[in-house]
Amino acid sequence: MSGRLHPFTLLAVAAALPALAWILPAPAGAAATLAVALGLTLTPGASPGSTGIGSSPGWRPGSVVFRAALLTAAPFWLFLLLLHDVPTTIATGLRITTMVASIGWVVAALPPARLVEAMVAAGWSATAAYLFAATLSAVPVLKSRAQRIVEAQRCRGLSPRGGVANRLRALGAVALPLVLSALHEVDERALALETRGLVPGVHRTPLEPPPDRVAERVARWGLAALCAVALVWRLA
Amino acid sequence: MTRVALEHVSFWYPATSAPALEDVSLEVVGGELVALVGRVGAGASTLLLVAGDLAPRVVGGRLEGTVRFEGSDRAGKDGGRRIVLPSPWTQLSGMAFTVWDEVAFGPANLGWPRGEIARHVEHALALLEITGLNSRDPATLSGGELQRVILAGILAMNPAVLLCDEPTAELDPAGAQAVWRLLSALAREGKAVLVATSDLDALPDVADRVVWLERGRVAATGTAALLAGDAACAAGLGTTVAGVWRAAELAAPFPATVAAAVRRWR
Amino acid sequence: MALSPTLRLDRVSFAYGMVPALADVSFALGPGERTALLGRNGAGKSTVVKLVTGLLRPATGAVWVGDWNTRAHRPEALARRVGSVFQHADQQLFARTLQDEVRFGPRALGLAPAEIDRRVARALAVLELESHAGEHPYDLPPAFRKLATLACALALEPTLLVLDEPTSGLDRALRARVARALLERAATGVALLVITHDLAFAAETLERGLVLDRGRLAQSGPLADLLASRERLEPLGLAPPPVAVLSAALDLPGRPVREADAVRALARAARVAGGGRSI
Repeated sequence: MSGRLHPFTLLAVAAALPALAWILPAPAGAAATLAVALGLTLTPGASPGSTGIGSSPGWRPGSVVFRAALLTAAPFWLFLLLLHDVPTTIATGLRITTMVASIGWVVAALPPARLVEAMVAAGWSATAAYLFAATLSAVPVLKSRAQRIVEAQRCRGLSPRGGVANRLRALGAVALPLVLSALHEVDERALALETRGLVPGVHRTPLEPPPDRVAERVARWGLAALCAVALVWRLA
Repeated sequence: MTRVALEHVSFWYPATSAPALEDVSLEVVGGELVALVGRVGAGASTLLLVAGDLAPRVVGGRLEGTVRFEGSDRAGKDGGRRIVLPSPWTQLSGMAFTVWDEVAFGPANLGWPRGEIARHVEHALALLEITGLNSRDPATLSGGELQRVILAGILAMNPAVLLCDEPTAELDPAGAQAVWRLLSALAREGKAVLVATSDLDALPDVADRVVWLERGRVAATGTAALLAGDAACAAGLGTTVAGVWRAAELAAPFPATVAAAVRRWR
Repeated sequence: MALSPTLRLDRVSFAYGMVPALADVSFALGPGERTALLGRNGAGKSTVVKLVTGLLRPATGAVWVGDWNTRAHRPEALARRVGSVFQHADQQLFARTLQDEVRFGPRALGLAPAEIDRRVARALAVLELESHAGEHPYDLPPAFRKLATLACALALEPTLLVLDEPTSGLDRALRARVARALLERAATGVALLVITHDLAFAAETLERGLVLDRGRLAQSGPLADLLASRERLEPLGLAPPPVAVLSAALDLPGRPVREADAVRALARAARVAGGGRSI
């Protein structure tokens, strides 16, 4: 379903939901937007074949994103509970979870390539579009690399069990190589992109620009207007 | 006529005092395949970056001497200098979910019309014999398949000068042989091909010239017969056959290939 | 000598979801046995490696490392007996110096400091990396980073080394270094299981060949026989290495596949045929 929507529409929805969560009165408003966001995380990412990042090995769309969103938001609830009273915790917790769920959904549902095509068709420079898209696609790449690093370190004797100190050490043995190897490759990646023509000032040919229907453009402006109205209403 | 020439080039990477290249003069013209050989760290990769206009422009550092390039280099046009770096994984665009899109990445960045892109992509896929991998996700390919995809992506841009850094590193012997045949054919078609490689045994059949780099300097240049010379074998840069011949203390000149050895034996 | 072989796969099958990867594979390696694992892409070689290191458990059958069943031991425990180097191994590097990096494994195993130092020194020495011990791994050229990952596996002083393409990206001198290091360890009883398509390296270092074809063990036997046979290698996308081709073309007695053996055979043949003839 989301595979057929224009990337800007997906981004608009992913931005509007957290915005509305913060603008609308808690807990009802926040709960409503959270329900919508979580509902989105349960929709199949995109159609198989020409899929979004949901097609990388091990990343099944649907409940995986749902669970990941809840797991990522859980620590925030814990901190909130320690610092605030219950009503504030619920309000802020719902809002944060909405944000996490929206971001998780759009990262899983939006193919970076389609986003680049859309941005280029809309007049953005190829380099700017690429930077944006590369950030999105970094997640599954890093995820599979992290998996490989965990396996390699385990085969060197690293045990993820044991006390806190041990677990922190284990985390370091996975996080550090992940960051270092990624950083180290930046130079080579820059050279590779340069030689393949991704230079500033060049107009990239969109290979398959996603169609932008009038209805969607209207819907996007509608969402923006909705947020504005809600804000005005809230402040008044 | 396509031509890339380094004249008395010395190059220092940023914040280093020792030069990576020292007084290197080298010319490659369209129609020939020149191989760069040398030990790890001898400067072959650096030389390719300099010839490809990536050093010092993108890499930084300091260059002395002149690098000349004749051939069309205008942005968006065919021709130009393109490099295939080692390690295919770091060359993936990260934005293509099919091999077809990955190979089309370069041409699309050049702003070519869609029909032309399709033509070049199909041609490149056929040259590398990977048309069957068309709709596969590049992230799921093996090292050998990926290396072919990256090479196809560069060829689809129709460079006049093709620079390759260890293009057969991830390939099995059958794949390596196919790539060497392809590089040789591309040179005969008129491209200037410069390849850094440690696959010495393949060179007598494909290289028009061999340049031996040692610690940033050109130690020797010549035909592939260089790899059957006493000096090269002593430095561990001779072909296997030449090395065995020499170690058996048989008479010079040592044969570079099995075929040459058979002829000598009779 | 040992009561149980260093590695034994006993009718092992494995599938990734619905996709079968290995079917009824059985083989064993004794101490000091040096074996090449060959096969096309997708034949199941990486799956064997993951099963041997304990990252995967077989669906049916069993994998025994010495007297340990991999079903009963986690990979971090099996690391005491199995040293492995995967492809992209250099992504696992993170210490400030090469020395610290190689120390990581023995430290994780909880060994005494003196023993750690001994193992690290030995691993660096056999790969001739001592002069780089104080350097940052990412300051080393990629080829040396690859050697570093092998040093990390050697420092575990396992009974079995499992290596996936240990020579890709290395030049002839470094490949010879790896060959020497592996032969030195094998001489002390360490078994080797090496996935490789570098048959010249395999000829120098390994003695036995296992060929996987679509998840089944298709061939098992002396590597020299396999290397000499173009018909058996071609379906695997492989070709006899230059020394084997030379031996066959010159009809050298014994058809040596190792360089040193070929040199001796060639010299002898030249003397026999020569007399006054200058070859």
